Parts: sequence; C-alpha cells; structure tokens
Amino acid sequence: MYLNTFTRFNFSQFWVLSLFLLGFISCTEEAEIQTYYIEPEYDGPVVAWKLPPTWGENPELSGPMAGSFHVKTDAGPQGRIGVMPFREAVSTLSITNMFGMELGYDRFTEDSLKTVMTQKKVGNKEFEWVRLTEHNATQDPKMALLAVYRQEDETWLFPFVANANLINQEMNAFLAFLDSTTLRAGKKVIRAARPVSSPPVSKPKGAPTWEAPKHWVAGKASSVRIASYLVKDEKGNELDFSITSFPGDVGGLLSNVNRWLSQVDLPKIENSTSSPLLSSFKLDDKDAHLLLAENTEKTIYGALLFGPSQSWFFKIMGDTSLAKVEKENFLNLLNSVCFHDH
Amino acid sequence: MINPSKTKKRAYSVGARQKAFPWIVPLASVRLTLALLSFSMILIFVATLEQVRIGIRGAQAEYFESFYGIWYYPEQFWGGSFLNAVPLPIPGGYLLGGLLIINLIAAFITRFQWSGKKMGIQIIHLGIILLLIGQMTTQAIQVESRMLINKGESSNYIERFHGVELAITDVTDANRSKVVSIPEELLKPDSTIRVPGFPLKVKVRAFGPNCSFNFKDSPSMRSAITSNVNQGIGASANLSLTPLDEDFSNDAANFGYLVYQLIDGSKELGTWLAVSHPAGNDRWKMVHPKLEGMAFQPLRHAGKLWGMELRSKREYLPYSIELLKIENEFYQGTDIPHNFESHVNLNLESGQKRKALVYMNTPLRHAGKTFYQYQMNKAADYTVFQVIRNPSWLVPYIACILLSVGLLWQFSFHLVNFLRKQSKVSA
Repeated sequence: MYLNTFTRFNFSQFWVLSLFLLGFISCTEEAEIQTYYIEPEYDGPVVAWKLPPTWGENPELSGPMAGSFHVKTDAGPQGRIGVMPFREAVSTLSITNMFGMELGYDRFTEDSLKTVMTQKKVGNKEFEWVRLTEHNATQDPKMALLAVYRQEDETWLFPFVANANLINQEMNAFLAFLDSTTLRAGKKVIRAARPVSSPPVSKPKGAPTWEAPKHWVAGKASSVRIASYLVKDEKGNELDFSITSFPGDVGGLLSNVNRWLSQVDLPKIENSTSSPLLSSFKLDDKDAHLLLAENTEKTIYGALLFGPSQSWFFKIMGDTSLAKVEKENFLNLLNSVCFHDH
Repeated sequence: MINPSKTKKRAYSVGARQKAFPWIVPLASVRLTLALLSFSMILIFVATLEQVRIGIRGAQAEYFESFYGIWYYPEQFWGGSFLNAVPLPIPGGYLLGGLLIINLIAAFITRFQWSGKKMGIQIIHLGIILLLIGQMTTQAIQVESRMLINKGESSNYIERFHGVELAITDVTDANRSKVVSIPEELLKPDSTIRVPGFPLKVKVRAFGPNCSFNFKDSPSMRSAITSNVNQGIGASANLSLTPLDEDFSNDAANFGYLVYQLIDGSKELGTWLAVSHPAGNDRWKMVHPKLEGMAFQPLRHAGKLWGMELRSKREYLPYSIELLKIENEFYQGTDIPHNFESHVNLNLESGQKRKALVYMNTPLRHAGKTFYQYQMNKAADYTVFQVIRNPSWLVPYIACILLSVGLLWQFSFHLVNFLRKQSKVSA
C-alpha cells in the first residue's frame, strides 16, 4: 500500500508540496540594514568638529578635555589645542588667570582683562577672544589664544597654546575649526573617547616617570600640566607642585626663571650664571637648572630642563614655611625622575 | 427519467471526487496520518529529552521550528556508548505539521462525505487544519520582544529577546537622531559592510552570540580576539574575551560581541570592540564603571558625533508607554509571586492618552502587539513587558470555536437520531 502510494506520487503532488513549503519559508523575516530617525535619546554632551588637515588628534585626554589636538609640523607635533566643556558658566577672568599665571602674568582683574580680551565672531558663533603672550620672552614667545563660547549656561573653552609664530600661521585653521564645531552640553558629563585617527604619541614625547611622596595628593593633569600635586599641612598652608612640558625652549632659561621669580614677588635676575638662586644640576644625567627662591611669604623651587625639542619644568610653589619642610621631598622627587632614554 | 438532485449528489460523492482528483488520493491516506502522528510523538519525546541539554528555546529551534533535527542518542541510555556517535535525523515540526495539513486537506477533498450527517466531523477537521495552520504561521511570523520601562519614564521601543544589531546613531542634530542598524545576520567575520547613510565602511573582524570577558593590565595580556582592538572601551578598559556558545536556557544571559574596524576610503581608523548586555546596554554601568561607555562609544567624523553600540535588535514604535505605578503581591509567608501589576499610560500617536492596567494573563493590546506582564523589580522601580506581535493570534480562537461547533453538531445529530428511534420504538 505504501509502495503503491509513493509510486503514484506525480508532478502535481510535487508542485503542491513545493509551493506550500516555499510559501511557508517566505514568511520569515529578511535581514537588512535599516536607516531611520528617532527623537534624541542621547543625553551626554555633543561636541563635534572638522579637523583641519594640518592638525592631528592627541590620543589621551586629560582633565576636563573633550578633545585635544596638535599641529603637525616637520619637527613633529607642536602646540596644543583643546576643547573644554563646562556645564556651568565660568568667568573669562578665571580662565584667563588660569593660563596667564603660566605665562608670567600677574593676576588679572576685570579692568586689566579688557586689555587682552576682545569679541570675535566666527561663522554664527560669538567668542570671547583672549590673547596672552609670554612676558619677558625675546623672540617667538609662547602664546595662549583662548576662545570662549557661551551658550545658555554652558561655557566652552578652546585654548590654543603654542609659540606665537605657530599660532599666527595656524590662525585660519583655528578659525575654520571653531566654525565647524557643534556644541551641546548634556545632562551627564562624559569625556570624549579616543579620536579615530591614529595619534602620533600618547604623552609628550619622552615623558618621564617619577616618585612622589605619599602624602602629596595627586591632582588633575591638563593639556599644560603633565602632573599636578597638592601639598597641605595641618594649618592649611598649601604648596602646588606641577610638571609641565612645552615644545621648544619657550623663551629660554632667563625668561622662565624671571617669570617664576615674579610669581613669588622676588626681583628678576640679570644673569643666569651669576645668580645665587640658580644652580646647575643633573636631572636623570641631563644638564638641568635648579631654582631655589624663598621669599618671606611665598617660595618657589623649580627645575628646568631644556631638551633638543621639548622643555620640562618641575615646580613647587606656595607657603614658605611649608616649602622649607617639603624641600627635601622635592629634591628627592627630582632624583627619582627617569626619562627612560638611556 | 434522470433525477437532477441525485445527479448532483453523485457529482459530489466520494467516488466522483476521487475520480476528479486522483493524484490527491494517496495524500489522503489514513496510514500517512498515523505515520505522521507517530513521528510527531517521537519528535515530542526527543525534544523533551533534548530540552534538558539545550534548554526550551534551543529544543524549540532545533526540532520544532525546523524541517528536520539531528539527534544523538543519549550516552547514559542503554547502548549509548555505541549509539551516541550516530547522528539520527528526526523530522521537524515544520515538516510534520505541513504534511499533516496536506494530509487533512486531501482527506477533506477525497475521503470525507459531504453530508449533513457527517458535517460535524468535517467542521472538526476544519478546526484542526486551522489550528495547525495557525500554529505554523505563529511560529513563522510571531516576534517576541521585551519593553523595559523605569517608573515615571516612558519607552517607545521594544527589544528582541534573541539577536543583536550594531547600531550607529548620529546625535549631532539636537532635534532628531539618525540611526543606522546592521542586523547580526550581516555581521559575518571578514565581511566589509558599506552602510547607506554612514560615511565609513564597517569591516567585521569577529562576531559571536555569547562571550565571557575580563579586564587585563596591559594590551599584550588580552586574548587573540581582542588583541588588535585599539579604540573605544575595549582598548581603554583592556578587555579580553572568550567566545562562548549561545545559551538557550531559560535564565540565559548571552553577551554578544563584535570586533570591527572602521574604514574611511582606504584608511583604517581603528578597531573597536562592542559587547551587548542581555538586559539592555544601560545596565553596563551597574556591571563596572569602566564599561558604562559600551552603551555609547563615540566616533567623531566630518563634523558629526556618532554613538556606536551592539545591542538587542530594536524596533521603535509610533506610540509610547509610560509607567505610572507598579505593584506586586506574594502568597502570604512566601516569596512566590501572586500578582504583578503595572499601571501605565498608553501615549497614542494622535497625542491622546489611555490608562491601562497590565497584570498576569491580562495583557495590553495595541496596534497588533500584545504587552504581557513579564518581569518586575520593585526595588529598582522598573517593569518589563513581554511584547508579542502575532498577526495570527485570532486563528486558534476561531479553530477552537469550529471544533466546539463540530463536536456539538455531531453529538446533537446522533442524539436527535437516537431520541427519534427511541420515540418510534416506544410508539
């Protein structure tokens, strides 16, 4: 009977079965790429830009940076450009003082700020435009160009820190970059992740390592500061320790020493070789300069190392009584510095 | 003289129909029916055994949602050490169900008597055919998803229980976001995907439905599969992963993974790792702070900010559901749930709001979807609905009505005849 059944199986039966099964299989979903629009769900900050072709992105973001860039030159990456979002309104005075102190400026007031600040319209965005040029530098001084953009309660800072010649050369690129930005603060603060382009280096080339005393409290690093520590005593006295790095010699030994001396209200020196405050020493077997300048209230100890393409500054500054206590620790830290290049 | 009614009756007689459709006759065989039912019993037996090994979802996919399944005789049974090596093909649910439908329809045409006396049997068989068709259609086109809503919030999308997609969202525009989604079926290792609406090409390096992962101290300590990851969370958290088979068990937690490169023209921009969290990528922050970014790995390109994530396949709805209140009750003195309730607002496309109460076995139905109360976490203040899209959901109801009518008809017919005979006898 079964044999009979299946020998009688003909083409009509075959087609009925095939159509049934095909029809059934065709009911299943087909996988395909979909593109559609939705109401915005993402509540983080939106920071987007078009990168000028002469710039590259820095791989590691520090502090409040949402983006960090450099200018590509024949001598390697030069200068630092950043994108710093602040969720709250931050005064231009605070921002200017933050960078001004590094460049040897006295603390700005509302009045003195007007001498370095203008308004600048780039595309459809209105920026507060602050130009700070390093004090006492002879040629090609270091410069900080600060573009501050305000949008409702948000503040966006675009610092461009480099030698003045490089900034002037890259001005059009900087303006095009500012014009291309899309800026929107979010409910939650996130830092931009690594950039998509292959970055040249993760830290300033040849960045050293060091051992800091355990009671020094590590602070946030920034585009300028490689490291930052806060030292406090029971009375509330404070010292600020920093390691900074810049391309080139950023004005040389004398201008940097005088800038530091002015920060502790000590008179400038005329000659770097004859000053009792300044001495030569070896920092990881490299020729460096040590500044030990104590004033009645404020004191500064610093080490300056001028490399072939990069300069390194190790500085501790603050209350004199605490500085004297921590002097030994500072010198020990200098002894522990290692550039891992020999 | 020819009686037209008799001629008509003859034309619809079983013999006449068998003559008219001779090729259907073998398909209507009762023996075929019995053989198919026997195979169905074997299928159920085998699938029940396999359920222990591969879980309900696995057994369902392997044996019922397929034309055939391969079964290996259990090693622990008698003679298992020898027989276990032999793969045994088992006819699958689609094959048996499909053949049963054909067999029943063929019997309907060539074997059943089309008379009032047998009308009940015909209706019963029609109900069975409908039940089979309904079940197969449901298996083929039913989509099961979930909707998680936090208390006080609303949700306008559902996510599949199984299957992931790479979603790339342009969030640059403050008013709307553009989403490009690539389903897992297209994420084949070593394939390069050109994505409409996205300026970069996606090259798949590795993809899998499940993995385990851990943090390493340095990139060199990562497993081979993630050793080349140099962008995003995979690189910053130094994630190393081990591929695993997909878990089909009831409490399965599959972490799908994707290692992919982005290519701008001919320039490689880097390699990313994306891992999907089975309960939704917003749960990553609870796993580890380093992994929070898995829900949005940013990519800046040509003045736009894109967020990338591997997530459960998502479907956006033109309406949303807002969770107002949740309540759960337990049997006194136990942890056994007695009732889960979600008080919701259905925010309709038209802008109108409709209040609804969703609780066990009382779902919310809207626009072809049914929202069943599925999970609830009162401590964390969220509810989860199981969302079923089944266009053939009415078919079983109609089939059951037909079966009831058929049985009622057949029994009534016999009862009336019996009573008639009884009354004649007593007369």
